[in-house]
Amino acid sequence: MLLIGFLLLQVVPTDPATVLAGPTATPAEVQALRESMGLDKPVWLQFVLYLGRVLQFDLGRSMISNTAVIEEIGNTIGPTIELMLASLVWAVPLGILLGTLAAVRRGQLLDRVIMAFSVAGVSMPIFWFGLILIQYVGTALELLPFQGRGGPLWSLDGLRHIVLPAVTLGGVFVGPVARMTRTALLDVLGADYVRTARAKGVAEGSVVMHHALRNAMIPIVTLVGLQIGFLLGGAVVTETMFAWPGVGRMAVGAITSADFPLAQGAILILAVSFIAINILVDVLYAMLDPRIARR
Amino acid sequence: MTFDIASPPRQGGEARYDPAGDMTDSTGLLEVRDLAVHFHSAEGTFKAVDGVSLTIRKGETLGIVGESGCGKSVTALAVMGLIPRPPGEIAAGQILFEGEDLARKSASELRQIRGNRISMIFQEPMTSLNPVHTVGDQIAEGIMLHQKVGKAEARMRAVEMLKLVRIPAPERRIDDYPHQLSGGMRQRVMIAIALACQPRLLIADEPTTALDVTIQAQILELMRDLRDRTGTAIMMITHDLGVIAELAHRVVVMYSGRVAEEASVADLFNDPQHPYTLGLLGSIPKLHVEEERLATIEGTVPNPYSMPTGCRFNPRCPFAIERCRVEAPPLREVRPGHRSACWRAPLEEHVL
Repeated sequence: MLLIGFLLLQVVPTDPATVLAGPTATPAEVQALRESMGLDKPVWLQFVLYLGRVLQFDLGRSMISNTAVIEEIGNTIGPTIELMLASLVWAVPLGILLGTLAAVRRGQLLDRVIMAFSVAGVSMPIFWFGLILIQYVGTALELLPFQGRGGPLWSLDGLRHIVLPAVTLGGVFVGPVARMTRTALLDVLGADYVRTARAKGVAEGSVVMHHALRNAMIPIVTLVGLQIGFLLGGAVVTETMFAWPGVGRMAVGAITSADFPLAQGAILILAVSFIAINILVDVLYAMLDPRIARR
Repeated sequence: MTFDIASPPRQGGEARYDPAGDMTDSTGLLEVRDLAVHFHSAEGTFKAVDGVSLTIRKGETLGIVGESGCGKSVTALAVMGLIPRPPGEIAAGQILFEGEDLARKSASELRQIRGNRISMIFQEPMTSLNPVHTVGDQIAEGIMLHQKVGKAEARMRAVEMLKLVRIPAPERRIDDYPHQLSGGMRQRVMIAIALACQPRLLIADEPTTALDVTIQAQILELMRDLRDRTGTAIMMITHDLGVIAELAHRVVVMYSGRVAEEASVADLFNDPQHPYTLGLLGSIPKLHVEEERLATIEGTVPNPYSMPTGCRFNPRCPFAIERCRVEAPPLREVRPGHRSACWRAPLEEHVL
């Protein structure tokens, strides 16, 4: 990931030294700057040096604001985590609920309606959904703000500001979660231990919640974990659309203004988050499945 | 009331069951009358059970034998009220349990009975327990549900049940998850779950098939012991005639969704009166006779969507006559307590 991020920025036909030196700089000044930045060295050596700095948590300085990249990330990571959590906190339970209803009513009208919505949700581009929300809820009805972060989440204004971005980002996640839940649950509902539970005289609702869903959570968590990468991508779009001061928007800004160290840092932090989330998923496994916990 | 494993069997040995039958209690514990279970699919209607009648008296163990697909498991699931609807359906007949017709009961009424007055153990101990709950919780669940007791009380009884099915260190094992137990232990846990509410009837669907032979013997021994101790009637479904000989009082032989023969164990083994039973008995390997090949029944089970007319066994039957191909034989008494659905019974008249 580090390498890909690095190489992607290498192939961009913009010379960082030219950008940094400004339009009035002489070629000699640009050359001097290039040498001081180490850009005259071979690409592989640049990468090795970059790796060495990353390992010391030195991600360089932003070429635009001259603040440390690590500091910029520190300022933007909070809002991003906030937005991701605000999206997941409603999208995952709703997806699981819809998927469960669909599985229990398999083949019936409710199942078909839920699955139709889920397909629509999966196919819907996130920016389109966001724009629709901005147009109708934001500007036409003026119900909710759609620009920026209104303050800390525990304040009313903060809460009002996060609704639209969180609905947008979570909205594209409900469909996949519902589909996964339905598939996983249908699989589990045919299991022998579900028959055992029924043979004990357990009521159907409890059979589904207590016996089936608990087992179905293992594949659901796996798939949700894998889909988090997709959600990170969605966060970049959503943050840009709603002027949300997060890592995603910062990354887009850094790339458009050719702020290489900042862009590299943003890509790096997104990659690290993805890995961290996958580790979290593995921890969740152990909590859900005693066969893994005791191993 | 709880079980006390130290106390002697209530009436000792097999004395609880009176093979002659209690004349004052002619209805029996479970009486299935002309049961028909159909499954509807795109290819048509599959009559898995087609007019089966059988009776289990209090404390009696009835064996049901037959090949895979003969309808023995479906009969059991129908008694439990566990036929999946759709595609399944109880198309006709009555299931009288202690005088009440289970075929007419609502789902919630059936839930009151399942796991309480009738319970069931299944073939696959490896997959029949829920992997994410401890065995203690799984035993306690049924106890809390049917006996309306609290968590602590249910847990205590669960420990007792584990002791009853002879699981060592039950106080420790109760917090184990199923994957920590062997196949034999898991089947013991299944038996503990089934017996936790002291059912009047225990349905055992091939409880030993998936286990290796030594464990099979242990489980059968345990079941016999618990039966004698508790007086629970057992419907023992199997394709293993050895299991029947070990445990059952009477046997029902099923073929293609119908009862072929019904007799006491001794009568069935000594004097089978249906050609299919004869074939089944012929396929048991004998230690004292040297045989090149085991006897087999020629042909295969009929296609459920195109049953032969007349007797369903006629295409495979060495005794078949013209009548067998035209008219289905009713189950009729060959001797007191011994019934056979064969036009040619008693068979010895036709053997040279």
